[in-house]
Amino acid sequence: MWLLPIALMATATALAIPLSRYAAWIMEGEYRPPRILAWFERRIDSGSQTWKQYAAALLIFNAVLFVYGFAVLALQPVMPLNPQHKGMLAPTTIFNSVASFMTNTNLQHYAGEVHLSNFSQIFFVILNQYLSAGVGFCALTAIIRAFRGQKLVGNFFADMWRVVMYMFVPAALISGVLFIQQGMPMTYQSAYQVSTLEPAAMGTTDSGQAKPQTIVVGPVGAVIPIKMLGTNGGGFYGMNSAHPLENPSAWSNFITTLDMMLFPFTLVLMYGRMLKRRRHSWVIFCVMALLMAGTIVWAIYFDTLKPNPGLTAHPASKTFTIPSARSPGGKQEFTLPAVARLPVDQHLGNLEGKELRFGTSAGATFAAVTVDVTCGAVNCEHDSLNPIAALSPMAGMWVNCIFGGKGVGMINLLLFLIVGVFLAGQMVGRTPEYLGKKVGAREMKLAMIALLVHPIMILGPTGLFAATTWGTMATNNPGAHGFSQMLYQFSSSSANNGSAFDGLAVTTGFNDNPNPPPAGRQWDIATGLVMLFSRYLPIVAPLAMAASLGYKKPTPFGLGTLRDDTTTFGCLLFGTIVVVGALLFLPVAALGPLAEHLGPIPFGG
Amino acid sequence: MSRYISTSLWLLLFSVVILCGIYPAVLWVVGQTIFPFQANGSILTGPDGKPVGSLLIAQPFTKDEYFHPRPSAASYDASASASSTLAASNYLLRDRVARALGPIVTYRSGARAGQLVAPDIEAWFRLDHFAGQPHIVAQWADAHNELAGAWVNADPSHAQYVDTWAKSHPSVVAHWIKDNPGTPQPKAADLAVAFFEAFSKENPGSFPAAVTRQTSDGKTVTTIQAVKEGGDIQSIFFDMWRQDHPTADLREVPADMVMTSGSGLDPHITLQNALYQLDRVATKWAADTQRDPVKIRQEIHALLEENAQAPFGGLVGEEMVNVLSVNLQLRKRYGNPS
Repeated sequence: MWLLPIALMATATALAIPLSRYAAWIMEGEYRPPRILAWFERRIDSGSQTWKQYAAALLIFNAVLFVYGFAVLALQPVMPLNPQHKGMLAPTTIFNSVASFMTNTNLQHYAGEVHLSNFSQIFFVILNQYLSAGVGFCALTAIIRAFRGQKLVGNFFADMWRVVMYMFVPAALISGVLFIQQGMPMTYQSAYQVSTLEPAAMGTTDSGQAKPQTIVVGPVGAVIPIKMLGTNGGGFYGMNSAHPLENPSAWSNFITTLDMMLFPFTLVLMYGRMLKRRRHSWVIFCVMALLMAGTIVWAIYFDTLKPNPGLTAHPASKTFTIPSARSPGGKQEFTLPAVARLPVDQHLGNLEGKELRFGTSAGATFAAVTVDVTCGAVNCEHDSLNPIAALSPMAGMWVNCIFGGKGVGMINLLLFLIVGVFLAGQMVGRTPEYLGKKVGAREMKLAMIALLVHPIMILGPTGLFAATTWGTMATNNPGAHGFSQMLYQFSSSSANNGSAFDGLAVTTGFNDNPNPPPAGRQWDIATGLVMLFSRYLPIVAPLAMAASLGYKKPTPFGLGTLRDDTTTFGCLLFGTIVVVGALLFLPVAALGPLAEHLGPIPFGG
Repeated sequence: MSRYISTSLWLLLFSVVILCGIYPAVLWVVGQTIFPFQANGSILTGPDGKPVGSLLIAQPFTKDEYFHPRPSAASYDASASASSTLAASNYLLRDRVARALGPIVTYRSGARAGQLVAPDIEAWFRLDHFAGQPHIVAQWADAHNELAGAWVNADPSHAQYVDTWAKSHPSVVAHWIKDNPGTPQPKAADLAVAFFEAFSKENPGSFPAAVTRQTSDGKTVTTIQAVKEGGDIQSIFFDMWRQDHPTADLREVPADMVMTSGSGLDPHITLQNALYQLDRVATKWAADTQRDPVKIRQEIHALLEENAQAPFGGLVGEEMVNVLSVNLQLRKRYGNPS
């Protein structure tokens, strides 16, 4: 039960320590590449850049990537490796997918095995998964250099090359071999037809022939390593890491989960190494680890240790009085009858939407970890999590800095940190300082801009869709859970996470789909825009903040200086994250998962 | 600016070559040379030497001779994985589980321990009283409008039956239109609740279900008729029966037998689930092969124990068996099921 999450946290921490040393070594440029790789590097290294040039290079490269991605997906019907002749996706879905993969979100408004050819899986999915993960990594590196007071923060293109080639590729190759050994397909074929053991169990065709089972295969073993290592989360198959060919065994599940934790853990320690403040980074690391443990424990306690409440007994009948304009006296009474339990042995917890081969608590553990590190892969159906358990993944996305995605999670944490330092400064009446530099109005403004994008991008569109038929037509579960579905979709988009409550009808699929979902296009465009805004503003604004702070004169260390490597500082940071996060999102949590948990179960139908 | 664009293009070009060309090719070579079985989808061959399925992908089994996999929200379609996406709070989840339970649940204790509950559900249904009120079907449709509508849409013959009913009950339809002025021309599904209310009063203790019979000239005809027993009643009304009999001591069914997996393709069931199915499987094979049921049961039990595996040797999960693998071994050992 608890062994799996403990083993994962311990292994990831143990691996992150040597890996952070390696990452710092690479990013400081202290290595000597082999001659052939050095040639590539010289070709793209255009010299060290100021933070503004760095940001411009980052944005231009992403714009190029956007055009490339759009072209690859739009041209899918005429590209090779497409024996099933898969057509073109709807234009809005292409926009959504390109934005999604470019921003490291990997929210999928399509199902991989249904809608993408192997060509698209390789040339769109794999490429974006490497490069979008690299972008966040580079942004953090630039911020660190700016914090150090460097006017020139390195070269974006050279940084990208180093991250991708010297860190992601070797790690992905190792993971890939392990995954294939465990049972992941790795072939350029597309599908096999097999005749089932019990003939005609799949049904019969109109001519009376037994239908075969079609098993989709492909270069799964190449997509999944970088999907996890890059905390991308965009699966080869529609059901992602729950699919037996995308996650064949308990071991593959362990490595999969470990892979997505690896670099987020590493980056926190790399931050300390490159700033020469390792104790400080360990304080941050511990705060994050504590928050992660909290989300995991919450999910396991309410999902694995509790049965699915839809099948259990609710022995007492309850009567509610609610205000109603229509009934006499302005009040209406509702009585919910008692519910008897169904004879189902649920000692393994809520099994709806869970796979058996990963281990009992694997679904809940994965659900918590995947949102903390903004991976967004899923190995169970989040829509079917117990209502209160689903609060854990949502909270992870709302806070969005529990290790967080490649670099971006650490950047988000820096925003909370600046706010925390500011609050502490206010309390004692001193000018707040961070890294020995005074935090001024400009830094606070930039931090607040970056910090507030996230809640605005979640709460605004959720409100809009919940109030209109765009949202209500798309939900497949009644009541509070329907609201949760919309809330989750925008939380996932804004956190650049990519997991989803899959019941939401957002999959338009191919352009010639005769029965598109009623609001598929609106969802495509809205979530696509949210992903773009919530990606680039929180990268550029913190970079500006770091530059502004880093170029200030250091103030001497004194008695009144707030030390950033103590438990007190850890508590301050922890408190800031929890309080700010709760202030922003408690109201919607009450309308969604909390209302569902406290309200009538079962409901509707 | 233009320099950054050209450098971006160079980086993109190098990335495409290395990440989309060389990287998957290396893994492909490793997969195809060292792990060809896994790299090609873990395909098993059947008794006739042809591919019969993937070790990792569930496939449907309906015969009593075989162990049945977990229910699938994807209908076992390995080219379109899917989960149910039903929230725990959604009544449709409880309804789906209850329908699966009705025909298979047995008593755990008392005089009828081991016997099916289903005949009692039918007897209770014929008395046509739920929670002390008459007309079970009308109460069901009132409480679950969505399910009543779903029944109408489930099959064209159902909708046809309701249409025929609507023609012979113009006053009920007129009344419905008066209550729902927004829908002047209701479809069959719109009228579902009104239909079941009227049906329940006209046919107490009955439910409309498909009945297949032979005509005098030897053809089989399927029509919808009011029936007082059968699978529909056992499954649809099990949940209501349970509400009326909350204290009946029933044998617990393993959860993975009635709850769908995340992918709809989970190839395993728990050992507990397999043992629950063991009696049915063993009895049927014994009848097919004309051998001693006790002996067969022992053999199959041993086979299950042999095939049982737990994640990490039981450190993180419970024992389970691969359904296709076990059924393939049964097929090889006992021949073709009748």
